[in-house]
Amino acid sequence: MRRHAVLWSVIVLAVVMLAPFVIVAMNALKSPTQYAAEGPLALPDGISLQGLADFWDRVDFGQKLLNSFVISGSVAVLAVVVSVLNAYALGIGRIRGRLWILIAFLVANTLPQEALVYPLYFLAKESGLYDTQLSVIIIFTIVQAAFGTYLLSSTFTGFPGELLEAARIDGANKWQALVRIVVPISRPTLGVLFVFFFIWTWNEFFLPLVLLISNDTQTVPVALGVLQGQRLMDATMTSASALLGVIPAIAFFLIFQHTLTRGITAGAVK
Amino acid sequence: MSKRLLAAAMVAVLAVSGCGPGDDDGPRTLKLWHYEGPDSAMGVAWAEAIRQFEATHPGVKVAFEEKGFEQIQKTAPMVLNSSDAPDVMEYNKGNATAGLLSKQGLLTDISDEVTKRGWDKQMSAGIQTTARYDEKGVMGSGKWYGVPNYAEYVMVFYNKDMFAQQGISVPGTVEELTAAMDKFVAAGVTPLAVGGAEYPAHQIMYQLALSKANKQWVDRFQRYTGPVDFHDAAWMHGASTFADWVDKGYISKDSAGMKAEDMGVAFMQGKHPIMISGSWWYGRLAAGIKGFQWGSFLWPGLTAGSAGNMWVVPAGSKNKDLAYDFIAITMSPQIQDKLRDAGGVPLIDTGTPSTAAPQIKEVTDNFKTLSTQDRLAFYPDWPAPGYYDVQVSAVQKLITGTANPHQVMDELARPYQENLANVGR
Repeated sequence: MRRHAVLWSVIVLAVVMLAPFVIVAMNALKSPTQYAAEGPLALPDGISLQGLADFWDRVDFGQKLLNSFVISGSVAVLAVVVSVLNAYALGIGRIRGRLWILIAFLVANTLPQEALVYPLYFLAKESGLYDTQLSVIIIFTIVQAAFGTYLLSSTFTGFPGELLEAARIDGANKWQALVRIVVPISRPTLGVLFVFFFIWTWNEFFLPLVLLISNDTQTVPVALGVLQGQRLMDATMTSASALLGVIPAIAFFLIFQHTLTRGITAGAVK
Repeated sequence: MSKRLLAAAMVAVLAVSGCGPGDDDGPRTLKLWHYEGPDSAMGVAWAEAIRQFEATHPGVKVAFEEKGFEQIQKTAPMVLNSSDAPDVMEYNKGNATAGLLSKQGLLTDISDEVTKRGWDKQMSAGIQTTARYDEKGVMGSGKWYGVPNYAEYVMVFYNKDMFAQQGISVPGTVEELTAAMDKFVAAGVTPLAVGGAEYPAHQIMYQLALSKANKQWVDRFQRYTGPVDFHDAAWMHGASTFADWVDKGYISKDSAGMKAEDMGVAFMQGKHPIMISGSWWYGRLAAGIKGFQWGSFLWPGLTAGSAGNMWVVPAGSKNKDLAYDFIAITMSPQIQDKLRDAGGVPLIDTGTPSTAAPQIKEVTDNFKTLSTQDRLAFYPDWPAPGYYDVQVSAVQKLITGTANPHQVMDELARPYQENLANVGR
């Protein structure tokens, strides 16, 4: 009985979660004429890829994909590296005042981006990085690493001390203990962080909107904004763009989802 | 191993991406931004203007980038304050936008160019209003900071087939319009398509207020030329008539949550016979309506509307001479005709016969009437920054019935009065 209840609630939840995607997909494949005549909830008569193709050309979507990939990939890698280094010092090294350092990181993470916009704009302008992807990469590396540090520090606090002790007796210095012991054992956690950092950065809209003003440096979410006009929107093309925008993030998640589960079983304490 | 490789690759790409585009002294480039879609009337006309500009300016390349409306709205002050500013761009008219930038010194005063090239002679007084700003950034007088290229106004779109079914002729007064809507309600049809979650609802309320107002009233409200009483006869007429229209079933309660897009689709599907909204819908309706005959007529009296967005020349523009040449081309008869035939409202009436559909002629003729009779009254969300959201949520309460007209007008009065200090009134 109870199993059925769980099953049904999972199904309902899945339907609720998927419904928006289905509607977006339906409208992405609908011709504008049919949309105008029958509205957003009607099933498409046929498959019209015109919206997808038009949008791709209009914003040079290939370029945007590359930009987003470079930015999100760099941020994910760098933020994981920075988080590991920070957390090693805070969680395992247990340096003095770590609580306050963590609080400072958390504050950086919880500040609304709107409040940070002007300072970041001026810093980027003064350092000559305005309208470069590097500025966005640096900012998001720091923002994501703040969260990563917080999370990893607490997991590292529970890291088995015997392992580190054994490594120290075997003659490993602190660097070797990090690279040979801590990182391989926490690989599943790091993998999860990597995937999250990538997807979070991929979906970031506001700071890239402000800092990347040339069309050839922009990311996918900013490019999607081109379609929202002042008073009108092009519903079918907006759906097409939303579909194109969300596919890479889902694909990335699915690919890494697989290696993640493998990583977890492989990383089990031996 | 592979992960380390990936990391190395990322860092390498990172290093490359750090190099921004360099400045080279080759052939000149005109950096142009606007945010009109390629299929819109303006998009079509301006693409032609770019072609003509490049043909008449050998050696000059136009670097055009289509921007998102939101990006320009949110980032314009920052972009214009940097060395990456474009040479000429489309920007929103009004105190909170172009007025603010002019006050901050981010826009070029183009008054000399305007008189030299005779653009002031091409525009009526009502159209000039949104191009000129005083030292407080208030529109209507002072220096020229922009050149509008098209116009827009609110009108009444109607479904001719549904009108014919009920035997209703085109209403000429608000009373006739009300009588027509009564007939539709009696026949079980909600007459008005309204998007209560966005601009359409408060534009309708403003329209209703305007029917009891005059030009001085509009000037007081929009240009701060005198005290504004939000509980005067005109405003209260607007708010209480709007509430009345909801009570009588002209406006459905469900429309509180509808976006402008939903409104347009509902009208195009023939669910409602009337939609009170702006000329920007024309292209969309012309392309989307297949199943019935439709047309438009003017709201009697003062009408929400103005010159459209305009060309501005950022103070940091490096090619101002080219920017003026480009603007001149968009003001030329060919480009204005092109804009008209693509479904836009041109500023300049060239008198050449239009090749476009009869509905488009209706729009341009009606605009001529508005312009010569000086009936343009701008938009209700202009006078204070952030006023749009205030207007939307206040008028929404009239639809849901959660506030009475007096409370709604109080809600509208507060941000307006607070803003008066900012404009030195």
